[in-house]
Amino acid sequence: MILCFWFSFRLVQVGNLGLQLPWYFLQIIVSAWYFISVVGNLFESYFISLKKYKSLHSGKVRYLAIVIESEEAYQISKVVKLSQWLDSIGVKNVCLYDMNGVLKKSKETMFQKLKNAKSIEEVSEVVTLHAPDHMTLEFLSYLDGKEAVAKAANLIFVENSKRHNLGGELDLQILLEPQMNKALQIVGSKGPEPDLLLVYGPVRSHLGFPAWRLRYTEIIHMGSLNFMRYGSLMKVINNFTKVHQNYGT
Amino acid sequence: MLSLTLPIPLLKTLTPPSPNINNPSLSPYSHYQPRSRSLTRGLIVPKHSSATAPPSATLRDDGTSLAGDSPEPLPEELVAELMPKHVAVIIDGHGRWAKLRGLPASAGHQAGVQPLRTVVRLCCSWGIQVLTVFVLSTENWFRPKVEVDSLMKLFETTINSSIACMKKEGIQIYVIGDSSKLPESLRSTIANAEKSTKHNSRLQLIVAMNYGGKYDVVQACKSVAKKVKDGLLHLDNINEKIIEKELETKCTEFPYPDLLIRAGGELRLSNFLLWQLAYTEFYFNKTPWPDFGKEEFVDALRSFQQRQRHYGGERHS
Repeated sequence: MILCFWFSFRLVQVGNLGLQLPWYFLQIIVSAWYFISVVGNLFESYFISLKKYKSLHSGKVRYLAIVIESEEAYQISKVVKLSQWLDSIGVKNVCLYDMNGVLKKSKETMFQKLKNAKSIEEVSEVVTLHAPDHMTLEFLSYLDGKEAVAKAANLIFVENSKRHNLGGELDLQILLEPQMNKALQIVGSKGPEPDLLLVYGPVRSHLGFPAWRLRYTEIIHMGSLNFMRYGSLMKVINNFTKVHQNYGT
Repeated sequence: MLSLTLPIPLLKTLTPPSPNINNPSLSPYSHYQPRSRSLTRGLIVPKHSSATAPPSATLRDDGTSLAGDSPEPLPEELVAELMPKHVAVIIDGHGRWAKLRGLPASAGHQAGVQPLRTVVRLCCSWGIQVLTVFVLSTENWFRPKVEVDSLMKLFETTINSSIACMKKEGIQIYVIGDSSKLPESLRSTIANAEKSTKHNSRLQLIVAMNYGGKYDVVQACKSVAKKVKDGLLHLDNINEKIIEKELETKCTEFPYPDLLIRAGGELRLSNFLLWQLAYTEFYFNKTPWPDFGKEEFVDALRSFQQRQRHYGGERHS
């Protein structure tokens, strides 16, 4: 009986060891894989920086939007660096958004550091979608989103009621997508729909970026602004240039 | 016999099936003192938006629903308390799925019905209260007529064949979008389904059919304009909250999705719920919808639960 118990006890010890060894082995494999992928990313980033993507068709990104989580948006120097990278890649029309308007308040500082940049207010929309020699920046906050739509709707109603007061019929059909687009331009939402939207920050959400302008925008989460890399940016833009959109058809 | 003499450490590595909390005598391991978290895992009682759940949503003491299907136990890696209230899904990739198999696009759409049923069943079991599914956008009308016609037929037959089951399972269906373009027979099927299930509250299934985010904002503004015209609203009072109340998702208590899942590998919203998705967590999945199943859905929910929730600058973990 004692022998039987001793034997089963030893068997359990061997069994436990047999379970622990594969577990430690698995942990080593996972750690090694993680290390290799990090190093691989760094190398890739470096090679991309050395113009691996020489044939990059950055012209396909006619309008690029960047959403930065408000807490990270205070790092103006990083946002400036990001804008400079985009300029060097060939992306000339950029929209910068953070919910609380941190970037909007800092735009003067940014323009001082970005000698080649102009505000979208200074540029006509026709120029915006062609490759200009300078960079065009648009600054947006939450106020340019849902609130702007409400303002635009209000503008349409006011125009309509003026006509109504002059004897015309109050026309509900006047409120269609093109009218809304026009009204939004008037209330200050000047830029077009972005082709690509990059989200910097811990969230995978566009944090209230003007919804009206996100119909077919490609949305990519880039991680924290603290870990932004030129290579990652280049890679994302390169991948975007290969994407085919069928617009639901 | 050997297992009886094994010392305690190894026994800890064996996880017994979760006991049935309604009827402990049914558990084959009733002598175990289960781990505290296991207690709630054996039987998932769905949350309800109303105080009293419909009879169809109540569970028998053997852990099965009155409809006869046993509810899916919540996977270990998910936490019931962190479950999203509203999940939105863009179903995509049917065409590519069919093309890879040398089949017509209609076969891809047909194959997409089962994954939808699976997701609906999982939502019912795991206490998700609203599921919004994007099945037809305003842009899809530009597809070949044969494909559009087969889609319309598929919608009609699927809704018709699901009404009895939805009534039984406590699922309320609501269709949003511009129904004026839909065939008359489909419109009456939708009306019948909505009427038959309107008192259900276990899961609200919102189907976006011939829907577009911009269309939704425009129709909301038109609705506001009509109220102004009828003297119910003053022009000065128009703000985003007023517009919000007129969006098509006003049919639900939770109009803003917590999680958006897009199947099929694309990384865009494709004009879906543009206004409502402002703070929604996005989960893009490469799997084409016909291959989407429980595993993919669990991955999406796990990803959602792991992420830190943000509303502007304020953190919500």
